[in-house]
Amino acid sequence: MCQDPVTLVSKDNKEYEVSRSAAMVSPTLKAMIEGSFEENKGRIELKQFDSHILEKVVEYLNYNFKYGGTNVEEDDEEDEIPEFDIPTEMSLELLLAADYLSI
Amino acid sequence: MYRSRNRPKKGGENEVKGPNSALTQFLREEGISAENIKQRWYQQSKKRRDENDEKKEDVEDVDDDDLTAENSQVVDDKELDDVETGSDTESGKVEVSYEARMKLVTADSDEEEYETSSVSGTPISLSTANNRKLLAKKKKAAAKIIQNRRRKRKRAADLLDRRVNKVSSLQSLCIGKISENIYKWQKDANESSKLVFNRLRDVLGGVSTANLNNLAKALSKNRALNDHTLQLFLKTDLTKLTFNDCSKISFDGYKTLAIFSPHLTKLSLQMCGQLNNESLLYIAEKLPNLEALYLDGPFLINEDTWEAFFTIMKDRLKEFHISNTHRFTDRSLSNLLVNCSSSLVSFGLSRLDSVSNYALLPQYLVNDDFHTLCIEYPFNEEDVNDEIIINILGQVGGTLRTLVLNGCAELTDSMIINGLTAFIPEKCRLEVLSLEESDQITTDSLVYFFNKVELNKLTKCSFRRCLQLGDMAVIELLLNGAKDSLISLSFNSLKELTEEAFVALACPNLTYIDLGFVRCVNDSIIQMLGEQNPKLTVIDVFGDNLVTENAKTRPGLTLIGRQSDSI
Repeated sequence: MCQDPVTLVSKDNKEYEVSRSAAMVSPTLKAMIEGSFEENKGRIELKQFDSHILEKVVEYLNYNFKYGGTNVEEDDEEDEIPEFDIPTEMSLELLLAADYLSI
Repeated sequence: MYRSRNRPKKGGENEVKGPNSALTQFLREEGISAENIKQRWYQQSKKRRDENDEKKEDVEDVDDDDLTAENSQVVDDKELDDVETGSDTESGKVEVSYEARMKLVTADSDEEEYETSSVSGTPISLSTANNRKLLAKKKKAAAKIIQNRRRKRKRAADLLDRRVNKVSSLQSLCIGKISENIYKWQKDANESSKLVFNRLRDVLGGVSTANLNNLAKALSKNRALNDHTLQLFLKTDLTKLTFNDCSKISFDGYKTLAIFSPHLTKLSLQMCGQLNNESLLYIAEKLPNLEALYLDGPFLINEDTWEAFFTIMKDRLKEFHISNTHRFTDRSLSNLLVNCSSSLVSFGLSRLDSVSNYALLPQYLVNDDFHTLCIEYPFNEEDVNDEIIINILGQVGGTLRTLVLNGCAELTDSMIINGLTAFIPEKCRLEVLSLEESDQITTDSLVYFFNKVELNKLTKCSFRRCLQLGDMAVIELLLNGAKDSLISLSFNSLKELTEEAFVALACPNLTYIDLGFVRCVNDSIIQMLGEQNPKLTVIDVFGDNLVTENAKTRPGLTLIGRQSDSI
């Protein structure tokens, strides 16, 4: 399987790179990447989201991939997951994005 | 109109919020915490020490003056004591005794945590560098212990919250943040919050209904659902709405809800203590499509209003569940049945202290599609007896999908044999069967029932506290077709069960099982259940003291209530 990073494009054409495996956290993105459409080339346009929202989404994808993945072995690590910070003013829009991406 | 006189103002500090107890809330408000007490102790002892240091310096000054004869001063002191003079020497004595106390304290392990490196007097700190190192080490160790403790506590709390995934989803994080802020906003100026909510509603317009329901749940959990936050849900196209904690919604709030959500077909209001006569009738009139109503705790609604309500809802009400009100009486029940029984397909009564005439039910429950019957915790156990249930089953047993008879302790084997087995068809549609606390039901009747009736649609089954049930009942249930469909099972408190019962417990779809207070459950049974049930994610093991931290579970399976996790 191709391991290139995936590029997410926001409303104002800003691009965010995220590793393919981190993007797979989102079932929506997974379907896009694995589907037979243009998106499987690694460039996904999410034009409905502002860049600051997308930036946070990418941050969460990496966060979830890092801490939520299958590397569960060490018990001690388990408890040291930092909190994922969400700025108040962003929470509603972020909820919409999270809803769309099912994360 | 119901208004409590001593209810605190909106957004007041002394509201019990979330999973905290009232005591915790009180202590927090009063600023009482272990940390505070410790700090105060610190400050006091430091102050005392400083004072003593000052006095000591004075004494030393005096000592410097007559370096030559300390002994003579003591002698002098003694002499002077007789004449009762010299406050300076008095304080010297106090100081000595204080230091002596501090010396003693060092040997006391309880106090060690609070020791500081500068234990005032010179006599103790012979090798200060050494002491400091030791203290630093101790501090480190203490910090580690505290951190470990905190970690353990957090893990236990997570377990109790059934938080199986370590990383919560972004959606739940956002919803948590929103509800937290809604609470804050509403505490701030009431004027400005109105605008905020209008904006909120605009933005939330695009959120899926599932998330809107999640938001309702999150708000209810934080006890933050009130007239203000209610506005988030005033979407005109919403058809189903569930509020799990309406205790802060005023009668006006319910009216607003009825006006702005005219398409509602199903409405569930739990803990709706402020729902009054006027607003119930308003709901009935303004929601033309309403056909399902679930109410918990509507104790302000009186008999007359119930009558009026059922008259308005005549032939329209399809689902009606009510619990926790003493004003719903036999008369109200008969009003309901007379007006709405022909359309009623789902019906539930729970903890209604003024209802005793359950014998009315059989003749009225006649709808061909009747599918849900819940009769729980009658005030007098004798009121719900075998005969009544058998008669009801005779009417609607063929179509029943949910049967909940929790807390009807009067029921016996006769109900199982002459009711369930006789009237439920061989290929039955039963999906939920709950007979909690029926302690007169025995293994034999259930074996007979499971043997005769094929329960291949059963997903949820609870025999919690049916104390007489033994292994054979469980084994027979699992030999039945139910084995493949079961998702949730409760054998809580079935003390007669032995390991034998669990050997056969291999259900491909089972996700949850409650084995609390089933004393025979041990580590090996837990391991076996994990292996035999691939989809099992949660096992409740409260009170099972044979389940230890050594229990082997496969990844994805969580044990909740294990003693070693919380102590």
